[in-house]
Amino acid sequence: MKKAMFLSVAVAGAIAIAGCGSDDSTDSTSAASDGTTVTDVWTRVTTPTQTAGAVYMTIQSPDGDTLTGASVPSSVAGEAQLHETTDEGSMDSTDSMDSTDMGSMDSTDSMDSTDSMGSGETMMGMKEVDQIDIPAGQSVALEPGGYHIMLIDLAKPIEEGDTIPVTLDFEQAGEIEVDATARAE
Amino acid sequence: MVDRVDRPSRVRPVIRVLAVALTAFSVAAVSGCGSDGEGQPELNGMTRTPPTEVGTVSLPDESPGGDGRSTDLKGEGDGLMLVYFGYTSCPDVCPTTLADLHMALEGMPADQADRIRVGMVTVDPERDTPKVLNGYLGHFFDADDYDSFRTMDTDELARAEKAFGASSKIGKPDRHGDYDVSHTAQVYAVDDTGQVLVEWPFGTSSDDIRSDLERLLGGDGSDSA
Repeated sequence: MKKAMFLSVAVAGAIAIAGCGSDDSTDSTSAASDGTTVTDVWTRVTTPTQTAGAVYMTIQSPDGDTLTGASVPSSVAGEAQLHETTDEGSMDSTDSMDSTDMGSMDSTDSMDSTDSMGSGETMMGMKEVDQIDIPAGQSVALEPGGYHIMLIDLAKPIEEGDTIPVTLDFEQAGEIEVDATARAE
Repeated sequence: MVDRVDRPSRVRPVIRVLAVALTAFSVAAVSGCGSDGEGQPELNGMTRTPPTEVGTVSLPDESPGGDGRSTDLKGEGDGLMLVYFGYTSCPDVCPTTLADLHMALEGMPADQADRIRVGMVTVDPERDTPKVLNGYLGHFFDADDYDSFRTMDTDELARAEKAFGASSKIGKPDRHGDYDVSHTAQVYAVDDTGQVLVEWPFGTSSDDIRSDLERLLGGDGSDSA
């Protein structure tokens, strides 16, 4: 208990100090009244034929918060959704899957032989999630291979140096606007 | 480490995934180091004993130089082909992997990088037409350096995947008609005999990939006999 409180105070203190001045000029740091901060917001450049993009960031909240949604201007993309890339396993259902998109597991192809191939053969997939919890005092990263904000129906390719405005909806902090810097990697 | 804080269930799967991935990777790394009898140089990626042989796998190559001809998924001469099963509508895993490959190759001396080809097999041939596939790969690699493998024959794709120990599954369409495709995200380095010399799981850094490639190429294939 004591440790958590100390950490929360320390983090809150650090965030309070960080929130006052403008630090990172390359990445947008935004703060709301309860201290939820979003840092290192970036998006990957897309190829001309890509219809979807991904935005990544790090979120911290000393009191805890929940990211419930995101939006981008229609000049960027049609829609933004919260997504999670997950390990979906080969044939048997994994416990990280609670949504329906693995759907019908009817065997149309010979997938059972992959079971004998050993470790590392699990498939990766994505699913939309309703929210991303930010536990108090913990830092949650939206990063490649994990959570990300998926941009659907990109209006045009994202190029290096572009800045994409993203509005994030938090349960506690309300709306926070950030700018995602486009990087090649 | 704050151990008294309750973790909501949303975070647990991520941690579990990370834990599984880390465990798998360390097991793989250890087994890779410990592989004996093969004369393998020490590699970051995963090696199998016996190594996967894919010499007989071929698919139509729709790259500018491929012209739709059936091409073997393996290296040529003293080179390697880096085979990857993915799709272009994937915003997270695939671009990350291809960006990592691009970065790995960028940092290599030209004479070594020239011996590497990247062969991507689309697991979503419906949306990944040759034009889309080439536009996508052309973003990461020069036109001469990649092969875009595409077949509309699901059996043919399944056979190719099975040879590598890979798999994919088309997901259910959402209300917009968009769908995700789950797929194994390994990159396989195949030599000219059709042997998979090393595999890198998703998330392997470009530095690790590069150092493995340099070791594999520098040693003229495999060390000793």
